[in-house]
Amino acid sequence: MTSTVVRASGLTKRYGSFAAVDRVDFALEEHRIYGLLGRNGAGKTTLMQLLTGQLFPNEGELEVFGRTPAEHADVLRRLCFIAESQRYPEDFTPKHVFTSAPWFFENWDAEFAERLIADFRLPLKRPIKKLSRGQLSAVGVIVGLASRAPLTFFDEPYLGLDAVARHIFYDRLLEDYAERPRTIVLSTHLIDEVANLLEHVILIDQGRILLDRDAEEVRGQATTIAGARSVVEEFVQGRPIIGREGLGGLASVTIDGRLDREERVRAAELGLELAPVSLQQLIVHLTGADLAGATEKEVAA
Amino acid sequence: MTVVATATAERELGPPRLRVGEVWRIVRLLAVNPTIFFGVPWMILGGAWAVTMVIALIMSGAGAPMDEAREGFRYSWAVLSPQWYLVVVGVQAVAYTFSFALGFGSTRRDFWLGMSVIFVLVSAEMAVAIATLVQLEQLTNGWWIGAGMFDALWYGQLGWGFDFFSTFVLQLLVLFIGASATTIYMRWRVRGMMVLLFSTVALVLILIATLTFTESWPAVWTWLVGLTPIGLTLLGLAAAAVAAVAGFLVIRRATPR
Amino acid sequence: MDESRPIFLQIAEQIENDIIDGVIAEGAQIPSTNEFAAFYRINPATALKGVTRLVDDGIVVKRRGIGMFVTEGARDRLVERRRADFSAEYLRPLIIEAEKLGITIDDLAALIRAERIAS
Repeated sequence: MTSTVVRASGLTKRYGSFAAVDRVDFALEEHRIYGLLGRNGAGKTTLMQLLTGQLFPNEGELEVFGRTPAEHADVLRRLCFIAESQRYPEDFTPKHVFTSAPWFFENWDAEFAERLIADFRLPLKRPIKKLSRGQLSAVGVIVGLASRAPLTFFDEPYLGLDAVARHIFYDRLLEDYAERPRTIVLSTHLIDEVANLLEHVILIDQGRILLDRDAEEVRGQATTIAGARSVVEEFVQGRPIIGREGLGGLASVTIDGRLDREERVRAAELGLELAPVSLQQLIVHLTGADLAGATEKEVAA
Repeated sequence: MTVVATATAERELGPPRLRVGEVWRIVRLLAVNPTIFFGVPWMILGGAWAVTMVIALIMSGAGAPMDEAREGFRYSWAVLSPQWYLVVVGVQAVAYTFSFALGFGSTRRDFWLGMSVIFVLVSAEMAVAIATLVQLEQLTNGWWIGAGMFDALWYGQLGWGFDFFSTFVLQLLVLFIGASATTIYMRWRVRGMMVLLFSTVALVLILIATLTFTESWPAVWTWLVGLTPIGLTLLGLAAAAVAAVAGFLVIRRATPR
Repeated sequence: MDESRPIFLQIAEQIENDIIDGVIAEGAQIPSTNEFAAFYRINPATALKGVTRLVDDGIVVKRRGIGMFVTEGARDRLVERRRADFSAEYLRPLIIEAEKLGITIDDLAALIRAERIAS
């Protein structure tokens, strides 16, 4: 049995005539790891700022733990959101951040924080302003993990982190999540590395939700079919096409949908190559829709 | 199965109410780096004091009559030297710490209340210290060398109580003006600041024009001169209160950068 | 992990392979879903889904509070099922490719025998 943590319908945030978040409907269930995916400027941060009551929506309904988040201390104390572009008080050091964090997060685990600080080799007394991008990300990651907030957001958590630090993050996240399940939202435009950590994927582009599906359903959802143009075109007839590339008489078309065993065999008999599409590639196809559309027209002409 | 959390959560949460702890943690957050509120103002004052002492030593060394020198020191503004810095502290509290506190799950209301508490604490601390230093300076006859820094301007005339009260009010006013002006930026960004600036200028011009055309300058002048020091200080307190309340109203819908 | 196929299927297959190869004996305990999740760096819910699939197939059994164990006869059942799938999974693609290259069925059989002797 799961309960719904976030429920949004028709949620909209406009800046002048530009809709950063445009009439989105979605829900977040308790104790899941969500991937909030999309290109830079797609509306990911705006959406998270709405969910954490930092921004006020122009339209639509939003409930977080059963009520509007903005200005409700009872909701806000269950959230943790350190934005990628988080501003810190003047002359703050990581030490100040970790000293004050327990006053705000009732589940704060100081020992866990200590361990993470050692893992990431974070200099505690260096001013935040002078930290490298990776060290700054580490501050956000440590707060997000050690706060153990029932709804935790990680905003582009591994910007600037090296491979070792990123794997520390994944490992600690999984370990701690397994012991203390909570709802986690990972927002990122770099998908491949975290793809396997996600249980559910929400893909946002130009303020709209393009995909809101179980990660396992998404995996292998799309297939790329390559071969002689005429054969490929005939094979994909009537299927939803999300990407198209061509070179001379060869074509490579990506379709939204799984092929069953018979279709795979038929494709092989026709001499077509089938290539799996990773989550990252699928998202490139889906969010590059304008581009794909243009190519399609070109081909048709 | 999906259970609708709304009903249970609503019951569990109850109506929003004021929790002292949630305001106090903002006070602690603003003071977690104590140099900002409690260190730097004293470094500035200490620096100004050192300069005053050196000047006094040079003057007495040059054989200037120290009685007249004391009179000259009355016009020194050194005692007010931390005020500019404290405007900046008020600005930074809203520009930076506010965004951070929201990330840590504070409400705008609790932030403003907690910030107001620390403003009152800092103002009281500065007021006690400066009023006492005025007394010390008088007792030691200008730190034994006839120097004057604290016993200057309006200080040292009406006793410890008034020195305390006037410093307290000035401090509060300076902090709240910095903070509340910044709330305009946090809510309406550059456009808000422009509107604030132009409307302030317009208001002042309209006021001057009205006073000039109605030929009421002499009346205003009489009123100002007639104000007692206490009256003037109370006016300052009222202004600080207006800034505090206005800032609260504006920040309730402000958004972090 | 293969990016293109559901991870839970890959987890289930991995455990099945270990049972067929005898790496995990019948009656032995398999790692917990959290251990799988940590090892493969995947979501624990995904690992659970993979193991649940094996439970549904009767390959492993859950003993409350202790863990998951491989059932008796699991290996035989798995081998039987893999044999049933063998033709579609391996032979048909092989034949299609062979025909493309003009290799007859007899040639193919000879090639397989030769390969077997070589290895």
